[in-house]
Amino acid sequence: MYMSMNVPGFIKKIVQRILSTWNGVRSFYLYVVSIIKSFKSIRYLRFRSLYSIVVNQTRFTGIDALPLLMIIALMLGGTVIIQAHTNFPKFGIESFIGNLLVIIIARELGPLATAMIVVSRSGSAIAAEIATQTQNREILSLELMGIDTKLYIILPRIIASIIAIFSLIIIFDIVAFFGGYLLSISTVYIPIGVFIQTLLDAFSFNDLFITILKSLIYGILIPLIACYYGLKPRSNFEIPIYVSQAVVRTLLVIFVINAFISALFYF
Amino acid sequence: MDAACTHNREIVTLKNVSYTYEGNRLINDISISICLGEDIVFFGAENSGIDFICQLIVNAAGEFEGDVFFDGRPIKDFDEIEVHNFRKGFGYLQRNFGLINNMDVFENIALPLRYHSRLTSREVDERVESMVEYLKLEHCARRRPVHLSSSELLRTSYGRSIALDPDLLLIEHPLEEQCLLNVQVFMSALQNRAFAPHKSVIIVTYRPELYTEISERFVMLHEGQIVFDGSTDEFARAENPYVKQFLQASIDGPMQML
Repeated sequence: MYMSMNVPGFIKKIVQRILSTWNGVRSFYLYVVSIIKSFKSIRYLRFRSLYSIVVNQTRFTGIDALPLLMIIALMLGGTVIIQAHTNFPKFGIESFIGNLLVIIIARELGPLATAMIVVSRSGSAIAAEIATQTQNREILSLELMGIDTKLYIILPRIIASIIAIFSLIIIFDIVAFFGGYLLSISTVYIPIGVFIQTLLDAFSFNDLFITILKSLIYGILIPLIACYYGLKPRSNFEIPIYVSQAVVRTLLVIFVINAFISALFYF
Repeated sequence: MDAACTHNREIVTLKNVSYTYEGNRLINDISISICLGEDIVFFGAENSGIDFICQLIVNAAGEFEGDVFFDGRPIKDFDEIEVHNFRKGFGYLQRNFGLINNMDVFENIALPLRYHSRLTSREVDERVESMVEYLKLEHCARRRPVHLSSSELLRTSYGRSIALDPDLLLIEHPLEEQCLLNVQVFMSALQNRAFAPHKSVIIVTYRPELYTEISERFVMLHEGQIVFDGSTDEFARAENPYVKQFLQASIDGPMQML
């Protein structure tokens, strides 16, 4: 009796959830299409009006995130290197340490950790900023000035995000490798020449290409999703809800894309 | 009043315009033409429909019945790019000023110039500097809106709305929350613009009596319809029962106030 009463309600909830997800995907698709369409008016755009936004966003997303990123890179790099150097010899695979570091840090951990830092710092900030501007009618004010808000708000943030994420991934990898190496010296001794040589041997052109590809994809997606949720609130009450959604959904998308790229290029 | 259009073209025409929002008819079959060089004050009580006039003219109200023409072209026909270009043709001083909070006074005024004009960056800076001086904003040119007084916000927003020297300037409730002593610079600047022969100013206000020296035409709305359209003299004589009731702030008259 209990089951028969709740099964229809349960199915209804699942159907509602699927419909809600579908509507969300459709709404995001229409938003992306409207941005692509607005590129028709790019010839009217004076890039000098975007310059200060690009500089400010790059500074905030890139330079201001460096201390946090370097600490996280150092800790993660050190942990991976210590674990690799203490455990690999037990299995007789110490000659693969370089490969493992490249696989773990450069291919996966670097881009993923960088994207997570950028989402939590800049993605949330972008969503909150746009949401507040929408509520203060600043976005309307821009539109009434004849400014294409899609280009004016989203484009510079994407440019800044791509530049910042690519730079941060490179810095993350360098700090994780060499900072981690220095940190691990206290527990395991590895000659620096040997360490660098194993890394160089393990690196391939493919790794650099995928780093650039991930920078591009994350650089586009993070501000795109953050702006999408930033434009959604219809009252001040909704701002924290949509900022939270922006962060959670972007993280989810980043993890899915990361797994997809790994499967596509390395499987 | 349309006789002025014999010398200048019609810049804005509303033809049988009705506007409904969430089931409420806010504008009810309005037809009016505004000629280039004409300065006009729209006034009326709360919920009279005056707050939607500017939004309809700039195509920001959404769906409406009838037609609005800007420079002879129906704004309903504009695609997204044309809407942006058409909006360059007017200045719009919103009721809440609409300043960008992460930009200072200088950057706010420079924004339309940097985005739309073909001026060099140095020319933009020079023009903004002279605007800042003209509007007596030098002392706060590097302050953000959050640190500005009410009259400084008004002057900054006014500076931004005329930065591109548009033919049509739309102003919503500029003096309603202002100390009248502090807005003399703004009033004098507005007067200069209103007296310019080929510049039109549309003012939406609850205080029409403040603009008798600026505007030559007054239009009153009640329940979304025009109940008075006359000259400054006709407005001042207040023979129209609606105008009389409004100016006397009386509860007795044709308008039933809630």
